[in-house]
Amino acid sequence: MIGRTPRWIVPIVGIIALIWIIPIIGLVVTSLRPISEIILGWWSVETVTFTLDAWTQVWSKYPLAYAFWISCKIAVISTVIPMLLAPAAAYAFHFLKFRFRRLILILIINAFVLPNQVVIIPLFRLWRDLGMIDNIWSVIIPFAGLSFAWAVFLVKNYLEDFPYELIEAAQVDACGPLARFFYIVLPNSLTPIAAVGILQFMWTWNGLLLPVVFLRDELPLPALLARIQGVYDRNWDQVAVAAIITTIVPLMVFIIFQRFFTAGAQTKSGSKE
Amino acid sequence: MGGPNGPPKSSLPIKVKKQLSDTQAAWFLLTPLLIFFAISVVYPVIETIRLSFYDIRGLAPEKFFGWGNYLKLFSDPNFLTSLKVTFIWAISATFFSVTIGWGLAMMCSLNPRKTLVFRVMIFAAYGVSEAVSGFMWLGIYRPDYGLLNGILEGIGLSGWTQPWLGNPSTALGAVIVAYVWTQVGLPLMTCFASIQSIPKNLFEAAYIDGAKPASVMRYIIAPLSMPGVRVAIFINLLNSLKAFDLIFILTGGGPVRSTETVGFFMYRESMLNFKLGYGAASTVILLIAVLIVSIPLIMKRTGDAK
Repeated sequence: MIGRTPRWIVPIVGIIALIWIIPIIGLVVTSLRPISEIILGWWSVETVTFTLDAWTQVWSKYPLAYAFWISCKIAVISTVIPMLLAPAAAYAFHFLKFRFRRLILILIINAFVLPNQVVIIPLFRLWRDLGMIDNIWSVIIPFAGLSFAWAVFLVKNYLEDFPYELIEAAQVDACGPLARFFYIVLPNSLTPIAAVGILQFMWTWNGLLLPVVFLRDELPLPALLARIQGVYDRNWDQVAVAAIITTIVPLMVFIIFQRFFTAGAQTKSGSKE
Repeated sequence: MGGPNGPPKSSLPIKVKKQLSDTQAAWFLLTPLLIFFAISVVYPVIETIRLSFYDIRGLAPEKFFGWGNYLKLFSDPNFLTSLKVTFIWAISATFFSVTIGWGLAMMCSLNPRKTLVFRVMIFAAYGVSEAVSGFMWLGIYRPDYGLLNGILEGIGLSGWTQPWLGNPSTALGAVIVAYVWTQVGLPLMTCFASIQSIPKNLFEAAYIDGAKPASVMRYIIAPLSMPGVRVAIFINLLNSLKAFDLIFILTGGGPVRSTETVGFFMYRESMLNFKLGYGAASTVILLIAVLIVSIPLIMKRTGDAK
């Protein structure tokens, strides 16, 4: 696009990018070499052997498969809830008239600035009194509740360009407000709903603070990783496998759907695409 | 819907299925969301503020404490340190991530196609779970077989090697470097997107006038990528104020609380020391800091909410 590019640009950016992924390469190599060699540094070249021992042994060593299952449950449920509820709310705010509409809207879309730390103490006391500590819903409810601030905003932004003629046509055809949502708006808003799903899936899969506080044994992957690297410090290779398992799903999602994250960042900060 | 030659439907006494009014429909659609929102946003915010005025230790009954928690906070050297750490953390992490990301975005925009793979590589770090990033950087900073000390020894600077995370004077810097590594991808992408949306004829005009790449960068790309820079600064600032995950994995706030931000102080006081009221008061301070940073945005969103 911009002519006369200096030659050095591409190699320079390439070198920076290679340096940038050294920690990731280190992680993969660590998981593939025997512990006797890692002790000399994962980059050491005196003897180089690759082994899948860590990959096969780790499953019996740590409850990794179980944590993977917990992570899936938490991330999927906390993702589906905003995917269903945020479009419904965005539609109500955008196309329907009711009392307190603007007040509720302002409250919800501004809540996105709240740090996760704010919910911890009250919800910890509430879950303790209800006996819900170590129940995955203790994490899912705040994950879902905190997502609406940006999710509603994202879908509502999209609806601002929604052709109003479609709504009017449906109204003329005697579609009620609910039918207009389910038959007209919902099927035509799959793009922002997908964006909500992808962003929320990443954030809930990676979340560490809420699981660490509210869960004890039903640990999702990041919380399990935090626990095992504190306790069994010497199994560097096996913890590396656990780390790869922890991040492989969100990293793939992230690389495939990267453009959603830039759009999501802009939504979070309020400017439109 | 009526046949082309039929009479207008409205004149017929047909039964129309009873429709909900707008208000009823709106509440039907909103209620489930509002329940989640009430439990996980409205109630915790109000309750955190209330609890910050109480003295609560573990399961003991709560005692009203007035401004006591706040007075204690501001005479607690640990809290004052955490304020200072949060400030250094937020400013330097935001400064370095945005500067590096912006610089890379400008370089990449000179040849978008050939740098695509490299952009994805740098952006990928932003997609790695923070817990996993922490584990990677532990491997770099380890005193015994860490990469950083290995490199320093390799180039003959063995005198510089040290336990990077165990030394109070280097720990904060080390954690910030790791944090910047995870964050740079975001400014890179938002700034890159801004640069891509600069009208192409501006560049053509500049080249026809004989502008060099350096001056194109200085006078066109840099000023016109500001929207992306602003988004990045805002998000980085907000994220770094709340930072928890990386500190939890890398240092746990130590050594001697040299890497403890307010977001982590809150966790230690309430969840490890069970001083819930005290922790709540520090959360309120964190909340105030976050709100101050977000004032422009909150005003914009409120004004736009039609």
